[in-house]
Amino acid sequence: MLRSEYRRRKSINVGENSKTYLIYVVSILLAIVYLVPFYWTVVKAFRDSIFANFPPNMNLFSQTSVAYFLANLKTVWGFGDFPLWYFNSVFISICVVAGSVFVGMLSGYAFARLKFPGRDYMFYAVLATLMIPFPVISIASYVFMLDLNWLSTYQGLILPQIASALDVFIMRQYFLTIPEEVELAAKIDGMKPWQIFFRVSAPMAKPAIAAATIFSFIGSWNNFLWPLMEVHSLNMFTLPLVLNFFKGANGTQIYWNQMMTVNILTMIPTIVIFVVFEKYFIRGISMNYTR
Amino acid sequence: MESNIYKNEKINVGERKRKRDPEMTTGIIFVIPLMIFVIVFTFFPAIYSFVISMFHYDPFFHNIYFVGLSNYLQVIRDPAFIKSLVNVLIYTAVVVTIQTFLAFGYALLFNTASRISRIARAIVFIPAVVSPVSMSIIFIWVFSNTGLVNYLLSFFGIPPHNWLFSTVYAFPAIMAMNIFTTAPYFMIVYSAGLQSIPQEVMDAAKIDGLKSGLKRFRYVYFPLMRFSTILVVILGLTGAMQLFDQIYVITDGGPARSTYVPLMYIYNRTFVYVGDIGLAAAASFVLFIIILILTITQRRVITERRW
Repeated sequence: MLRSEYRRRKSINVGENSKTYLIYVVSILLAIVYLVPFYWTVVKAFRDSIFANFPPNMNLFSQTSVAYFLANLKTVWGFGDFPLWYFNSVFISICVVAGSVFVGMLSGYAFARLKFPGRDYMFYAVLATLMIPFPVISIASYVFMLDLNWLSTYQGLILPQIASALDVFIMRQYFLTIPEEVELAAKIDGMKPWQIFFRVSAPMAKPAIAAATIFSFIGSWNNFLWPLMEVHSLNMFTLPLVLNFFKGANGTQIYWNQMMTVNILTMIPTIVIFVVFEKYFIRGISMNYTR
Repeated sequence: MESNIYKNEKINVGERKRKRDPEMTTGIIFVIPLMIFVIVFTFFPAIYSFVISMFHYDPFFHNIYFVGLSNYLQVIRDPAFIKSLVNVLIYTAVVVTIQTFLAFGYALLFNTASRISRIARAIVFIPAVVSPVSMSIIFIWVFSNTGLVNYLLSFFGIPPHNWLFSTVYAFPAIMAMNIFTTAPYFMIVYSAGLQSIPQEVMDAAKIDGLKSGLKRFRYVYFPLMRFSTILVVILGLTGAMQLFDQIYVITDGGPARSTYVPLMYIYNRTFVYVGDIGLAAAASFVLFIIILILTITQRRVITERRW
């Protein structure tokens, strides 16, 4: 940040100045373009009419009311087992995050710091999983779950999502940046390797843990293909399935105001997490891709 | 040096080598959980997928028998599968090209330290954190008869059109939507790359007289961003080949298979025309091989060419 700040300060002269303003104007316009679909989503959820009228009414204060939104919310919450579906999504995501971050932390540390036979081969094996996209093995995973009789179960939804090469990389890269001297000091104090990990290294890796948490949460919360294949009973639905289900619940007519209420309820957790942890988010992606 | 560290164990160097090194034990214990998950839920299904593809596989009626490669022959002769492959290849070519340029453009645009850029970048990034299903629902409206696109076109006097119900426009509409949502994701990869360019390089470019934006792009950014570009193209490529959620939610492969993609074919083979999962597994394996070949060649092309 400092460097670009310096670069910016240095570049302030008349010609550059107007260029900077142009950049700001374009940036703001682009942001507006990206906001419009979400803006209508929110406005529609505050309306009474189920139809998407033409031309779209983009006025925030016309035909909108909080009472309408609450009514929509009430309808949606009472639709099927909505509270249970919401719980399913939350529960599954939390389990996937806890599992994949913990597993990723342990192995990321082992790959970064500990020496043991076969380490490099195992790391290559984890690398190789990046070459196997989940959708192309989803059929076999589905048959596997069928064999285990795990269809429409929490374990069937959670366990296949836990191994995440992305989390392992984030963790490994971060542990590599922690100065070795710190761990050496702990070693000299007589700590065992696992003690060093839990008492010294892991607490220092908070930014990486945050990044991995955010990524696996969003990945699991937004996952559609796997629940679609895995879940064959209504009581195990997760929110993306609910969205798709609600879309078709009233035949060809989509009840737009209620649809957008469901959509908002689905999007809120990820957007809130993104806004709060934006810093970690962007750093997390760069951690993975720049080294 | 190491022998003095574990002073409680009171053993000399020679003995320690024979005894089990605590670092080694811990390392193995730490990787075991990951390796179990990777083997059971990634490598095993990958092999299992190949095995299933050699069988006529109907788990519901326990009608399972070996057929060798005939599933593969049947799949690659199936017009629906060919159609889906052609579709996804066109989709990949269009989407990856445009989104890569767009991502780089966004990254350049937001490459200032100001608050405005930071906030705008965060807003633009939102579609990348929202689920594809949510975005699809919103874009059903955007491209619907009464949606945003028709509204904008009405200012130019173009009559409304039902984009998603047209065999010509449905697929381009989905391409547009995915470019809109994935370009911001890859923007971050380029942003990180741009921030790692040393100031000296930019100063040197200035001294060398590379003042125009185009020249700076051609001789400074482009070569330095090569690694980021490899990543963006490979990730974009594998992502595009796996297109499914948006198609399933928006068009379900229609109208008239104009948006049919391989994963849609695989899904339908398993869950709609129930009977033979072996075919679906064979189709998945073909898709896997194509993704693998594309990734490898792409990598070779981008790394070996001298700019």
